Amino acid sequence: MSFLTISHLEKSFGPNRVVKDFNLSVEQGEFISLLGPSGCGKTTVLRMVAGFETPSAGQITIDGADVVRLRPNQRNIGMVFQAYALFPNLTVAQNVGFGLKVKGAPAREIASRVEEMLALIGLPELGNRYPFQLSGGQQQRVALARALAPKPQVLLLDEPLSALDAKVRVSLRNEIRTIQRELGITTIFVTHDQEEALSMSDRVVVMHQGIADQVGTPFEIYNRPATRFVAGFVGTLNTLEAKVLDASTGRVDVAGTEILLHRALTGKTATLGLRPEMVALGQGAHDTGLQGTITDVDFLGSVIRLRADVGGQSIAFDTFNTTHTTPPRLGEKVVLGLNASDLLVIGD
Amino acid sequence: MKKAAAWAILFLGVTYFVLPLIGMVEFSLSMRRGVYSFDAYAKVLADPQFRQTFSYSVFMALLTIVFGMFLVVPTAFWVRLKMPRMRPVVEFVTLLPLVIPAIVVVFGYIRLFNTSSWLPMTGSTFGTNMLLMFGYATLSLPYMYRAVDTGLRTIDVATLTEAAQSLGAGWFTVLARVILPNVLVAVLSGAFVTFAIVMGEFTMAALLNRPAFGPYLQLMGANKAYEPFALATIAFVITWACMGLIQLVTRFSKHTKAAR
Repeated sequence: MSFLTISHLEKSFGPNRVVKDFNLSVEQGEFISLLGPSGCGKTTVLRMVAGFETPSAGQITIDGADVVRLRPNQRNIGMVFQAYALFPNLTVAQNVGFGLKVKGAPAREIASRVEEMLALIGLPELGNRYPFQLSGGQQQRVALARALAPKPQVLLLDEPLSALDAKVRVSLRNEIRTIQRELGITTIFVTHDQEEALSMSDRVVVMHQGIADQVGTPFEIYNRPATRFVAGFVGTLNTLEAKVLDASTGRVDVAGTEILLHRALTGKTATLGLRPEMVALGQGAHDTGLQGTITDVDFLGSVIRLRADVGGQSIAFDTFNTTHTTPPRLGEKVVLGLNASDLLVIGD
Repeated sequence: MKKAAAWAILFLGVTYFVLPLIGMVEFSLSMRRGVYSFDAYAKVLADPQFRQTFSYSVFMALLTIVFGMFLVVPTAFWVRLKMPRMRPVVEFVTLLPLVIPAIVVVFGYIRLFNTSSWLPMTGSTFGTNMLLMFGYATLSLPYMYRAVDTGLRTIDVATLTEAAQSLGAGWFTVLARVILPNVLVAVLSGAFVTFAIVMGEFTMAALLNRPAFGPYLQLMGANKAYEPFALATIAFVITWACMGLIQLVTRFSKHTKAAR
């Protein structure tokens, strides 16, 4: 049985159903990300787990116990907020020790746990500072230590990196993942940043309009998107409309080129997805070559992003920037090399 | 030219404000003929009735502040957290004491809580003192509520509350250990204004027949020449001391700087 189970969870605000029949099972020590655009219901799910919102229907169990009727302060859940939410009147050490103090732990135990937590986040010398004396990254580390200090059963992270600058985000996300692995704490992480979700999680839940569109490992989500939304939301994806020539073998026509997909299709047309990194300039060793015309060249430093028109359909692809190769010019006729096995058949 | 006009207006304003004060202080020091002296102050301070009324009003002011704090902080917190749509209504209610004269309020109290009513508060000294304290709290409500509400606006009430709750804190702990300490400067601002209001209040104390500082000021003004001016100066100093304390508390508060 899973450690945290969310079954048939629903939430409506007036006439708006923001979470619809949401189901999720999380194993102990697992790191799960809820990924989706703004307004998809991911934060609402997290807040229902925390107890800040009451579900309209459904069940949430932690370690076998139904927690829906418990108040937030009775759930033994640690939470880290986007806005840090450190108590401005308390020092860093007092913030970290707050949960233990509320629980009535002895002063000596609080002091030792605070010391342990500050060492864990790498800020052992900042215990006497006030939150306003810390940088954003330091404040979020302290918020993490504060959430972990009372040894919660589940850790909830509500877009904790969103307010930080790019460099700090990357280093802090690595730190969070390391700490989470070290402590083996079950964690739910809410983000709209696909890179964060893919790099940190054991599994990712892609949410769309209140529904979990797909639950899977980052590899599955990226390489085998289950729906058109997941395919479009996670990573960059070219979509190609294909004419189905033989549904049973998956023989299709893309811009005048026949491609054999080796999988059964339905209908007379199919939408195919193609990641830019699966396309090469020139056919080379690839099994398929598409004739196209360069319509856009973006120099991005280490890579050059190109866009080509292929029979009225646009395909973006990347090529590495080397000093020996000159990028193609606008209007130049090129061959785009790809393997049929890299084409994703996108469902609805 | 514009600068000169601005200075002239400023000078007129300062004169309008300061001149009567100078006159008042000067007259309070003129009890002894021909020389300035503190005779009027000495007489006032030696008067047992002054000490009695002054200490009574100080006590009532402190009581009002405590009551006001317990009434306003949870109310403003709850309105901000759970009923943000009710804020205009609550703000309107807290402003009513500014448009309803104290004499109307106190007559209402006397009518509602007289000895033949269902709750005869005016029938005992304790009850009347309580009634006076409620009256003072009502009079100071616009200032206290605004001060606390402004204080709450400077912190993220909802997130701090949720953070505390997720760490196991109940409502009382949230209020006492998280919200109140973070709006303490605002509460103190409201408290000092309340103190100044209570120290000078006349109508309610007089009509409820309580030995407060306001009626004593009036009594002295009706019967003595120099002492009322000494008293008015003392009251003025108390008020300004309160204002100064607000500034001091704000300046010395350790954690009120905005987060980076």
